[in-house]
Amino acid sequence: MIETKNINFYYGDFHAIKNISMKMEPNTVTAFIGPSGCGKSTFLRLFNRMNDLINNTRLEGECLIKSKNIYDKSIDVDELRKDVGMVFQKPNPFPKSIFENVAYGLKVNGVKDKKFIAQKVEESLMAAALWDEVKDKLHKSAFELSGGQQQRLCIARALAVAPSVLLMDEPASALDPISTSKIEELIHQLKSNYTIVIVTHNMQQAARVSDKTGFFMMGELVEYSDTKKMFLNPDKETTQNYITGRFG
Amino acid sequence: MNKKIKQNIAFFVFRLFSLLIVGVLISILGFIAINGIQVIDWEFLTTAPKEGMTEGGIFPAIVGTFYLVVGSLIFAVPLGVMSAIYTVEYAGNGRIVRFIRMMTNNLASIPSIVFGLFGMALFVNKLGFGDSIIAGSLTLGLLTLPIIIRTSEEALKAVPESYRTGSYALGAGKLQTIRKVILPSAMPNILTGIILSVGRVSGETAPILFTVAAYFLPSLPDSIFSQAMALPYHLYVLATSGTDVEASRPIAYGTALVLIMIVLFFNLLAAFLRQRLNKKLKQH
Ligand SMILES: Nc1ncnc2c1ncn2[C@@H]1O[C@H](COP(=O)(O)OP(=O)(O)OP(=O)(O)O)[C@@H](O)[C@H]1O
Ligand SMILES: [Mg+2]
Repeated sequence: MIETKNINFYYGDFHAIKNISMKMEPNTVTAFIGPSGCGKSTFLRLFNRMNDLINNTRLEGECLIKSKNIYDKSIDVDELRKDVGMVFQKPNPFPKSIFENVAYGLKVNGVKDKKFIAQKVEESLMAAALWDEVKDKLHKSAFELSGGQQQRLCIARALAVAPSVLLMDEPASALDPISTSKIEELIHQLKSNYTIVIVTHNMQQAARVSDKTGFFMMGELVEYSDTKKMFLNPDKETTQNYITGRFG
Repeated sequence: MNKKIKQNIAFFVFRLFSLLIVGVLISILGFIAINGIQVIDWEFLTTAPKEGMTEGGIFPAIVGTFYLVVGSLIFAVPLGVMSAIYTVEYAGNGRIVRFIRMMTNNLASIPSIVFGLFGMALFVNKLGFGDSIIAGSLTLGLLTLPIIIRTSEEALKAVPESYRTGSYALGAGKLQTIRKVILPSAMPNILTGIILSVGRVSGETAPILFTVAAYFLPSLPDSIFSQAMALPYHLYVLATSGTDVEASRPIAYGTALVLIMIVLFFNLLAAFLRQRLNKKLKQH
């Protein structure tokens, strides 16, 4: 589904991603772990070209999604971002109603049919396990929701445009334990329909939700393997040290 | 002297000065109000001056000021907001933008009489509009442009970056993001800037002096190419060069009061709308 080939990425002179090649299979959850500042978010943002929005950056290497190089000139970035959804660390609903938040992606992509939009909104909110909580107040402001609900709203918003990949950058780090476990449950359910990549600082979370885990350090991919193996019996000593909390 | 006493003295002085300022403001308003309120009645607001401006009302001047405010906004709002969108959303922070920003700031510091002179040279003479509402509106529009650009820029910058990234991440284009997310959330603050500039436009005399203002017109303007009376200039005429300045004095105070009320009204409206829109944004 996603494949990177010898990716290097620079912020100005700063070499943030160092020669990373890795592959992510469809319908799997991949977790990125590693100490703060090691490049997890930067690497994740390469997959939907959000780094394009940052000035003075440079990329080498290839990033293939569905076997197409997404940095090819023929790629329409807006289309790419529709197919590769993203959920951010801090819930960032728009200052609009709950309904309008979820409908937004459809509307900007030219969908006019009101019935279709309403149906998609409902489906997406259901898929994000939020429908029951908001079905009676769809036209209330999204800001009236709790942080955890807002984050699920942001997930619903991303799902509404029918992506095949879902990128999540520490989606639960700003949330309480109950909201966090709801998000994790949700990730489990979404796996059957989406390819998910999640950045997390929480080792238990990585162990709970992911099939594969990549451990990053200082811009390098130190180790990448099945989550079970990673946590029980990692190849590298640095990985072992990090996971057991001896640094980072 | 111990620290405590020094502190108390300093505090006393600060308080004295700020109360002094409030006092000055209240005396100005009070002075105008007491002198002006006597002449203000329905007739004063709805009829034209009579008997060499020693009797009658100020209706044509109110209408003229209204036209000038609307005219200048029609010109300055789209231009100012679009220019702010360009500098904040498109141009980054390069040399061109710094240059534009510098020029905008310089534009704001040009004395308004110079705008008047420029407006006369360009709109009245060169473009041949003559002394007219359109020439006056354009001149006033130029004058308020920096205010509108500045406040709109600040409004756009205050929109959280996370709205932009959220929108782009859903496949929205730049223009769509601006139209559907950024502008709506910046609107309360943009509106405040617009209304503040209304206050400014309705009070300025110098820019309309050579471009539109008429000493006295018996009837209302009938097109954008007509001259018009306007409140601030009318006040100037009443106070300095009427047929009988002494006899016009109460009317001058009445005019001043109306002018102040209009400016205050717009300032309050700005505060009110801003609050309401902000609330609505949060609910919606
Ligand atoms: N916009 C930027 N401009 C310049 N340098 C940046 C930028 N964003 C990130 N960096 C640098 O790139 C490196 C990787 O940052 P990144 O945010 O990807 O790390 P991270 O692994 O996600 O960290 P965290 O766990 O704290 O979120 C850091 O050293 C950071 O300082
Ligand atoms: Mg990060």
